[in-house]
Amino acid sequence: MIRRFGNILTAPFRFASGMVSQTFRNVATAFVQLWANKGRAILTTVGIIIAVSSTITVVAFVGGFGKQMTEMVQGYGTQFMMVQAYAPSSDKRRGTRRVRLDIADIEAVRIDCPSIRRITPFVYTPNGEITFGNEKADEIPVRGVTEDYQTIRNFHADVGRFFGPVDVEAAAPVMVLGRTVMKRLGADETIVGEQVYLDDNRFLVIGLLEEKGGNMGEDQDLTVMIPYTAAIKAYPNLRDSIPFLAEATTPEATHQAAAEITHVLRTRHGLKPGQRDDFRISRQDQMVKEFENIRNIASGMLAGIVSISLIVGGIGIMNVMLVSVTERTREIGLRKSIGGRRRDIMLQFLTEAVVLCVIGGSIGVALGYFATYIASLHPQMIEIEVPLWAVAMALVSSAGAGVVFGIIPAFKAAILHPIEALRHE
Amino acid sequence: MIASNESKGSSLIELVDLTKIYRVGTEIVNALRGVSLTIRENEYVAIMGPSGSGKSTMMNILGCLDVPTSGKYVLRGQDVSTLSQSRLARIRGRQIGFVFQTFELLPRTTALKNVELPLMYAQVSRKKQRAMAALKRVGLEDRATHRPNQLSGGQKQRVAIARALAQTPDIILADEPTGNLDSKTGEEIMAIFDSLHAEGQTIIVVTHEEEIAARCRRVIRLHDGMIASDETISPVSAPAPRERVTTP
Ligand SMILES: Nc1ncnc2c1ncn2[C@@H]1O[C@H](COP(=O)(O)OP(=O)(O)OP(=O)(O)O)[C@@H](O)[C@H]1O
Ligand SMILES: [Mg+2]
Repeated sequence: MIRRFGNILTAPFRFASGMVSQTFRNVATAFVQLWANKGRAILTTVGIIIAVSSTITVVAFVGGFGKQMTEMVQGYGTQFMMVQAYAPSSDKRRGTRRVRLDIADIEAVRIDCPSIRRITPFVYTPNGEITFGNEKADEIPVRGVTEDYQTIRNFHADVGRFFGPVDVEAAAPVMVLGRTVMKRLGADETIVGEQVYLDDNRFLVIGLLEEKGGNMGEDQDLTVMIPYTAAIKAYPNLRDSIPFLAEATTPEATHQAAAEITHVLRTRHGLKPGQRDDFRISRQDQMVKEFENIRNIASGMLAGIVSISLIVGGIGIMNVMLVSVTERTREIGLRKSIGGRRRDIMLQFLTEAVVLCVIGGSIGVALGYFATYIASLHPQMIEIEVPLWAVAMALVSSAGAGVVFGIIPAFKAAILHPIEALRHE
Repeated sequence: MIASNESKGSSLIELVDLTKIYRVGTEIVNALRGVSLTIRENEYVAIMGPSGSGKSTMMNILGCLDVPTSGKYVLRGQDVSTLSQSRLARIRGRQIGFVFQTFELLPRTTALKNVELPLMYAQVSRKKQRAMAALKRVGLEDRATHRPNQLSGGQKQRVAIARALAQTPDIILADEPTGNLDSKTGEEIMAIFDSLHAEGQTIIVVTHEEEIAARCRRVIRLHDGMIASDETISPVSAPAPRERVTTP
């Protein structure tokens, strides 16, 4: 009685250590088996390899773009917003009102919105033509701003100077060049102090913008900046609708600032309750949200593609495991005849399927790393990195595919009749 | 019932009116037709009979690898015919050592690992030492790391015997263990069985060869699924039949 009781007490420990050593043995057996059929094993894991390597690569890319996007947005500051005149489509059709946003509006916002720290008009034309001597550069984005733009965008002149309030006040024909424009004009830093033409208007180059490089496929150095007053003079048709950039005092105040702008502009434009805004406020923090939406949709689609290829890969695994069970019928019979229970046989073949899938998954991870490495060699490539959670997830889901698709072959092996299995040719 | 053998030990195996019927399509094969039999501890039994007489069928039932169609099989006081699959597997692993004509060693696996296999399923401790001891008993301790394709037929069968011994079974069942070996190697295998028997092991061997049967202490002859004769041979005197039992 006491002996029996002792047995019951120690049984869980013996059981646990037995399980561990049996799992060890199962994994070892799986490796021996797979090594004996290397070629076949590799071929069957192709599906898993593709699923995992494409996941790893895409996740790395999406993550890389996301990081870039976040950095860009944080560079602007999330308290940054842009206000443009905007006609709701129904109003446009009726043609009842002219859309306007003028300097008086901007001044009112500057004065009446306590949550706004800085504000600058932002007059923009995408294709200015600049002439310097015999050299010509066309399709140059021209920004008409005030000195505050430097601070808002953190974009300063490192040679010469940026224009100041006096230049803006006087609509002085002065210009700050981006480095790419300087190169397009075949010039070097000595261009500061020279005269250039912007679409027939003479401008004095007073400074060069610090080099910023590319961002999301856009060359930030391909630009020139002039006082917005000078821009309106050069392009009078821009006068009616002057967009502006505003910066809230803090990121938390962004919402409040947008509300204040809305109130001021609606009042000035005489909009009644129920009438739609005739302007639009684009907020950086909302852009981040939109990007996150896009990223979530992309992740969902990726998940779909990955599950399909995991299923295809898993069916391959199931097939080869069925073949393996048939080939090893005698072995199964022997294992049963020396004490192997159904669950032992089941576990052995499940382990083999899982090991096979995890090997495929590991090769896929390696290939994914390799693909991102190759991509990162391209000079204009953004910085991409394979996140560890993606590696972990890839391995766990390949193991899961092994369990799901190994069940049927393992079950088939487990229920074999020992004698019939031993008689198998 | 039948056997009136002198009590060498307690009864280990008891078969009562055992039948086995195979159905192949519409055909019915009566492989065993009412076999009753008692085997005691430390008996050394040869089973003989023409091909198709049901020897293997009986051995498979004795080894809990197959179940009878009707009748009773009591192993060490336990009625085996009523047990579940996993209880049967447990009995196969702990109470029975089966030796096959075709060895059935796992390829690509060393002799030692082959012998360890039943110990793994039984989840016992000190597997390696026990397996090594079993290999030593069949004189193959120096071949422990060899794989089956590096062993001769006789050596393979000795590894298989070590595997059967590893769990110190109640009974060793060998179905034509020398069938795939030449007569000299067969002698060596039988010498191992002889010494195991001398140490107290219960052994049942199926064989076609009279010389091999002559080493045993009891010869049961099957014919057409029934016991035709059951002779106990005195270890010293000539092999005179001491009893002859025919099932009803
Ligand atoms: N799985 C099976 N299905 C159908 N019939 C079978 C099966 N196994 C055995 N039999 C039949 O049962 C009978 C007994 O077969 P068994 O294998 O027991 O003979 P045996 O005495 O071992 O013969 P051998 O000396 O040739 O090995 C034979 O007629 C055989 O054809
Ligand atoms: Mg046979």
